[in-house]
Amino acid sequence: MAKIHKKGKSGAAINYVTRNQALKKLQVSLADFRRLCILKGIYPRDPRNKKKANKGSTAPTTFYYHKDIQYLLHEPVLHKFREYKAFAKKLAKVMAKGQYSTAKSLEENNKPVYTLDHIVKERYPTFVDALRDLDDALSMLFLFATMPVTEKISREVVEDCQRLTAEFQIYIMKSRSLRKVFFSIKGIYYQAEIKGQTITWIVPYQFAQAVPTDVDFRVMLTFLEFYRTLVGFINFRLFSEINVVYPPKLDLIKYEGAAGFNALILEAMHRQAPGSEKEVEAEVAETQKEVSAEDAARMKASEQRLKTLGSKLAELQGSADTDRPDEVMEEETEEAALDEFKAAAPTNAEVDGDDSMVTLSQIHAASTEVQKLQNLFSRCVVYLSRETPRYALEFIIRSFGGQVSWDETVSSDAPFPENDERITHQICDRPKQGHRFLSRTYVQPQWIADSINSHNLAISDNYAPGAMLPPHLSPFVEAKEGDYVPSAEVEEVEEEFEGETEDINPDDVDDLDEEEVDSADEDEEDEEVTAAAPKKVKTDEHEAELQAEAAGIAFSEYEKEAAPKKTTSKKTAAGKKRTAKEIEEEEAKELASIMMSNKQKKLYTKIKYSQNKKSEEVAKLEKKKQDLAKAKSGANKRSKK
Amino acid sequence: MRDRRTGNGFKVADTSATKSNGAKFVRKETNKPDTLKSEPVKSNKRTAPAEEESEDELEDFGDVDIDIESDDDEEIQEGDVDDSDGDIDEFPEENEKDQDENTLVGEEGEEEEEEEESDDYMAGDSLDEEDWNEEVKTSEKKDSDKPDRLPEIEADYDSDSSTEDVENTVGKVPMEWYDDFPHIGYDIDGKRVLRPAKGDELEKFLSTMDDPDSWRSVAVDKEGKDVVLNDEELDIIRRLQGGDIPDAAYDPYEPTIEWFSSKKEVMPLSAAPEPKSRFIPSKWEAKKIMKIVRAIRTGRIVPRKPASEKPRFYNLWGDDEQPREDHIMQVPAPKMKLPDHDESYNPPEEYLPTEEEIKEWEELDPEDRPKNYLPQKFNSLRQVPAYNRFIQERFERCLDLYLAPRVRKNRLNIDPDSLIPKLPSPKDLQPFPTQQSISYEGHTGRIRCFSLDPVGLYMVSGSDDNTVKLWEISTGRCLKTWKFDSVIHSVAWNPNRELCVFAVSVGHGNVILIAPPRIGSPEQTTLTDQYFQQGYAAMSTAGDDKDAKNPIPWVKPSEEDQENLGYRVQLSHTQAVKQITWHRKGDYFATVAPDAKNLAVLIHQITKYQSQAPFRKLKGLVQRVMFHPIKPLFFVATQLYVRVYNLMKQELLKTLQSGVKWISSLDVHPGGDNVIVGSYDKRLCWFDLDLSSRPYKTLRYHSQAIRQVTFHKRYPLFASSSDDGSIQIFHGMVYNDLLQNPLIVPVKILRGHSVVSSLGVLDIEFHPTQPWILSSGADHTLRLWT
Repeated sequence: MAKIHKKGKSGAAINYVTRNQALKKLQVSLADFRRLCILKGIYPRDPRNKKKANKGSTAPTTFYYHKDIQYLLHEPVLHKFREYKAFAKKLAKVMAKGQYSTAKSLEENNKPVYTLDHIVKERYPTFVDALRDLDDALSMLFLFATMPVTEKISREVVEDCQRLTAEFQIYIMKSRSLRKVFFSIKGIYYQAEIKGQTITWIVPYQFAQAVPTDVDFRVMLTFLEFYRTLVGFINFRLFSEINVVYPPKLDLIKYEGAAGFNALILEAMHRQAPGSEKEVEAEVAETQKEVSAEDAARMKASEQRLKTLGSKLAELQGSADTDRPDEVMEEETEEAALDEFKAAAPTNAEVDGDDSMVTLSQIHAASTEVQKLQNLFSRCVVYLSRETPRYALEFIIRSFGGQVSWDETVSSDAPFPENDERITHQICDRPKQGHRFLSRTYVQPQWIADSINSHNLAISDNYAPGAMLPPHLSPFVEAKEGDYVPSAEVEEVEEEFEGETEDINPDDVDDLDEEEVDSADEDEEDEEVTAAAPKKVKTDEHEAELQAEAAGIAFSEYEKEAAPKKTTSKKTAAGKKRTAKEIEEEEAKELASIMMSNKQKKLYTKIKYSQNKKSEEVAKLEKKKQDLAKAKSGANKRSKK
Repeated sequence: MRDRRTGNGFKVADTSATKSNGAKFVRKETNKPDTLKSEPVKSNKRTAPAEEESEDELEDFGDVDIDIESDDDEEIQEGDVDDSDGDIDEFPEENEKDQDENTLVGEEGEEEEEEEESDDYMAGDSLDEEDWNEEVKTSEKKDSDKPDRLPEIEADYDSDSSTEDVENTVGKVPMEWYDDFPHIGYDIDGKRVLRPAKGDELEKFLSTMDDPDSWRSVAVDKEGKDVVLNDEELDIIRRLQGGDIPDAAYDPYEPTIEWFSSKKEVMPLSAAPEPKSRFIPSKWEAKKIMKIVRAIRTGRIVPRKPASEKPRFYNLWGDDEQPREDHIMQVPAPKMKLPDHDESYNPPEEYLPTEEEIKEWEELDPEDRPKNYLPQKFNSLRQVPAYNRFIQERFERCLDLYLAPRVRKNRLNIDPDSLIPKLPSPKDLQPFPTQQSISYEGHTGRIRCFSLDPVGLYMVSGSDDNTVKLWEISTGRCLKTWKFDSVIHSVAWNPNRELCVFAVSVGHGNVILIAPPRIGSPEQTTLTDQYFQQGYAAMSTAGDDKDAKNPIPWVKPSEEDQENLGYRVQLSHTQAVKQITWHRKGDYFATVAPDAKNLAVLIHQITKYQSQAPFRKLKGLVQRVMFHPIKPLFFVATQLYVRVYNLMKQELLKTLQSGVKWISSLDVHPGGDNVIVGSYDKRLCWFDLDLSSRPYKTLRYHSQAIRQVTFHKRYPLFASSSDDGSIQIFHGMVYNDLLQNPLIVPVKILRGHSVVSSLGVLDIEFHPTQPWILSSGADHTLRLWT
């Protein structure tokens, strides 16, 4: 006899625990439990069958995965929470007695301190895992870096956020890993690519944040606590990968002068052995900074003997020469990339033959594309007028290889003044410019984002100060079939209008009627052509039909096969006949749908419903666009008259 | 003056201070034991009263002082007098003895006392001071003696009242309780204490006049007699009346003496020597401190060491990264939705919402809004304001991350067309009717029924306008019209090709067999005539008993009707006949009159002019009946079931369970093994009789009730008509191979009939030879589809 399975002893009944059960098991308060969940990344589950998971009850409850809770039992942070509770009691007692010195020593010596290092490692076993989950962390840190210090948000937190974000931005700039920028009404979206992971984050525009009252900052700060740890470790790793000492030192004078991420002093890391990244010797870097150019040359000579460190020296020099660290980096990466391809190409060709060659060329194309993008602004020397968002633009331009300066009033340490002759572009956001230099182009900030998103420097005339800007499109939208693509339509419509205006202006006839008449004429002509064509083909067709019948192919199938040939022959006459064919097809679908099972029918209607909704939206947008275009052309005509 | 109790304590010190010579005093004390040894105990006792004496005197003096409230001088004088008196009166002997003692034991003492006195006088700087000292002394003495003295007074009092040993023991109860009794309580032996006799008012008055103390006597209820207050008590009363402190001895304005002041006294208050520990540093403390010092020196304790020397961040992911294996219960957090074009600060203009859209968006609940922002356009980046819900959105994202249950949902990314089953193309299944070719118009009511002749040349139709019309199918010409006086329910043409007869069900149960005149070939007409004459002959030979057997009468119509209208015979049912159906050979036909109970289904035989009710009792309301095309089987469709009877064996063969709610129509495949059933609940069921009693396929495609289903006699076609005004043509191929399921392919939907008062196509029938279908509708037309 088969084993009797008792109810509630296996499956969903033991896989899930309700929140209250979890609290009871862990012996913590709800607030602590929530903090733990946030830190450990534990989230509620939705069991497939709620009744089975909740002893037959269908009352609305939150379920957690049983094993998640089980693991929490051994969590060191949980023990620290308990210790903290005891500590808080002690402290309260002492404070109530007024023994402030005892309280102070308690605070100094006995306060339980917990770290989240192990949780970061546990949640993200590999570095790439951590990078994958960086979006929320970065958005949160960038938000809190702009938050005002209140009684809930301490100064340390805000400063830490500012520092971490600055460090991350430095890495992005140095590694040139920014890919997309989008100015939205909510803030600026950035997308970077680090180790093949796309990381997207949003930064609010640089305004003082109004702290809302309907937000529970305890929750946000708990998240922030974890994110700070996470981003700190990620920054460490990223910095060590570009051979820069972490944490970078803060130049207090620059920091006071609102230099932003420029206030951090980068120092090259001296490696003793290739494997030991941990051993950071900032002192070595410092001494090398002091070394004069001659010393550097001598050192170069000596270190060339150790061939492996050759490139690193160049890097050290680069960091010593603070003005252009990025350029050196760029050269280095380029060289490396070229080397790789030279080395890889012949071997692959030998082994795999033609197929691999294709992929190789694709890879090469992709990498050159990326490189091109990384050096998009490398020949640009940009000056930011004081009304532009300096930190954002500086970050963007420098991550694409450009050189940036800004107005002295914005912050103190501008690399070059406004009248520098090297300046090629000046970003300004005012309709009128007082003094214009002829040697440079004046553009609006959108030019930068559009250039990046289109991977080419955009035509600057469209972005001149005071000009009506072309629409700024999201680079994150990947148009699928049936989606509305605004940019494509723009061109088509423009072409149409050009044609129309040409036709109409000499004749002074109502444009729409004219167009319709034209199209009708064309149709007729086309039909004549098609009528002539079939006669020639007819005899061939008959033979083919007979052959097909002999081969046992159904007539309809034969027709389908033959159809493309026909359509190619009567390309232009498709208009009306296609509709008839469409009707037929639709009918066939309708008929076939009779034979669908109930389940399939439901699914079919659901899919169709969503498709229809989408196409309706697209149609709505298209109609709006047409209306707008009509209104515009009407206005143009009136102005011409 | 000081408090009484402390007064006793300080007495010694005071005296020592005032008398200035402590040693003397000591010696005096040392004398006492001597006296005790030499004298009997009494003497000791005596000494105390001796002291008392003097104090007594003082007390008296005090009393006088209070009483008289005179000057101090007088007090002293009087006190002096009293002193001498008291002494002499009370303890004359003792005094002597004392003196004796003094003389005997210590002359020195006396001398010294004298000396002391002389010293006092000598030392006295001023009279005032001395006076003051004296006063202090006396008052102290008086105070200390009070408790000793009181019993004396009471002794007096006792001596007064010692004669009467009666004592009331009632306790503290209101004495008015005893007002009505002769006694006022009980003494200690439990005997009544009688109320002392009281004289009348005159006596009382006289006694007050006699007694000088009457003014200070008070009536005491408990004892029932007057008590005379003494001077002290009077004094207290007086003070209370005057609002003073009742104790005369208490001085509220006593000058304070600051014993513990900032002024450094030469002499210590306490004579105890300072302990040594106060001068020597603690050994244990030193040990403890040295322990810490040593620990610091050796570096075991680091004072004020920095919080942590470890760097906050390090290479957390070493080189030995091990990716976690995917687990079904680990669902990574979904990424944020990336912004769309309309979130741009400068979107294409078509994305900007119109005013109606803005209004609609604002009216929606924030949860229901498809997007949490309204697209806006700014001319330059400079004009873009701060987004006021930025923090809230981040917060909502946080909440989603830790409060929202995560479920892995597989998005079905399939082409909807792939769900449509692959069926052979209708084009390959031709021929079937595809379009309407002829519309037969002439009826003025809805056409409930029609029937084609077995060859397919003619058609009769019965309508709600009480007429039956005969049409030529190919031309659409109406050849003849029969007018009746009530609604036509059903018409059915005899399937026998040699005859030319059809049956019509009119009104309330009349079924008329009509051989339309001048239609059909002459052979057909003669054969038909013979057929019916044969029937009449049979009826006449059968006689009365046969007549009795017939459940319904067969009536011969009039000659005129026979001649003009072609009526042959008339059957009158008890209830309206809804359906007439012929056996394939054309001799039998069955009628259905659903309301006629056990006569609902009748089978009539023309050759014998005979009717029979095959079922003694019928279960359910009969909807349709049908003869099997080959076998002697009979199908009866009630509301829910189709029952198959063998007419030869007279038994139930099978019950087909349709699963529909109300069967409307039924047809049998010409092969005889398949049955289709249409229902008012829009379903069509295909039964394979060999397979099961449940439907092989149930299709639901009409949007309204199915009215009629029918098979084609030759082609693999079947059709259904519905109240939605459409006719659905199917290719229904039945294979001879029993293992192969019938192939059902929908091939065409014919639309043309209009729906009138929610009735669409009421009847359909395939052409017997051609792949055509005819239909009749509620819109008063008949249509031919080819």
